[in-house]
Amino acid sequence: MTPARLDATFTALADPTRRAILARLAKGEASVMELAAPFAMSQPAISKHLKVLERAGLISRGRDAQRRPCKLEGAPLRDASAWIDRYREFWDASFDALDGVLADLVKTERKRKEKP
Amino acid sequence: MSKLQVLTGAPNEIVMTRQFAAPRRLVVKAMTTPELIKRWLGGVRAEVVSVEVDLRVGGRYRYVLRPHKGKEFAFGGVYRELGEDRVVQTEAFDDYPGEALVTTTFTEANGVTTLHIVVAFESEMVRDIVVKTGMSEGAGESYDKLEALVAGL
Repeated sequence: MTPARLDATFTALADPTRRAILARLAKGEASVMELAAPFAMSQPAISKHLKVLERAGLISRGRDAQRRPCKLEGAPLRDASAWIDRYREFWDASFDALDGVLADLVKTERKRKEKP
Repeated sequence: MSKLQVLTGAPNEIVMTRQFAAPRRLVVKAMTTPELIKRWLGGVRAEVVSVEVDLRVGGRYRYVLRPHKGKEFAFGGVYRELGEDRVVQTEAFDDYPGEALVTTTFTEANGVTTLHIVVAFESEMVRDIVVKTGMSEGAGESYDKLEALVAGL
C-alpha cells in the first residue's frame, strides 16, 4: 500500500458522517438517496462525502446510471489493520529476542563481579 | 519473561507492557546502544540492516530492517526526552504517513524491569482499528472481523 493511499484512507475515516455511511454500507449496497435519508443533509452534501470515500478506495459505485448504488470496499481498511498487526508482531518478536540479549548482559556483569 | 501485553489507553493511543528479567540500567542500555539494538531488533522476523543512534535530546535515530518475508523497511525519529526511567521519542515509518510519539517508562522491582510503552498516533482511527480487530488474535481472524469493525464505527 502506498503512503498516499493509506493517508487517504485515514483522512476519509476521520469524518463521523463518512464513518456512518460506511457503517450503513457494511449492511449492504445503497443509493445516494437511501444514504442521505438518515442524515439531515442534502444529497449533494452526501455525494461530496461519497467522492472522498471513493477516492480513498473505501467504496465503489455501481454502473447503473439511475441509481449508482454504493458498495463497501474492504481492502483499504484491511491494509490499515494489517499494518497495525505487523507493528505489534514486530515488537513482540523484538522483545522476545531482547530477553536473550539481557540474559547475556546480566551473566557478563555477574562474572565481572565475581572476579577479584 | 511475560509476553507482550496490549492495553487500551486514550483514544489515539496503543499501550504495551512487557517485563524483562534484568535491572533497569541494562534494559535502557540494550534499547539505546546501537551494537546491542542490532542483536535483538526485529527478532526472528527480520534482519537489521543498519542502526543509527544519536543519544541526546534532539538527536535522531534510524533503524533499517529486512524482514525474512517482505520488503525492507525503515523507521526513526527524534529523542525528545532521555531520563533514567523515561524515554520520549517520535517515531515515523518511511512507508506510513504521519508520526507517533512514543513514551517508554522503565520501572524496576526485585530485579525485574517493567517496560510501559505508550504509542500516541495522530489518528484516533488507527487505535480503533487496532482494538476492534482484536490485536491478540491472528491476522486471518482480524480480517473476518472487518465487517463488524465497520459496522461499529
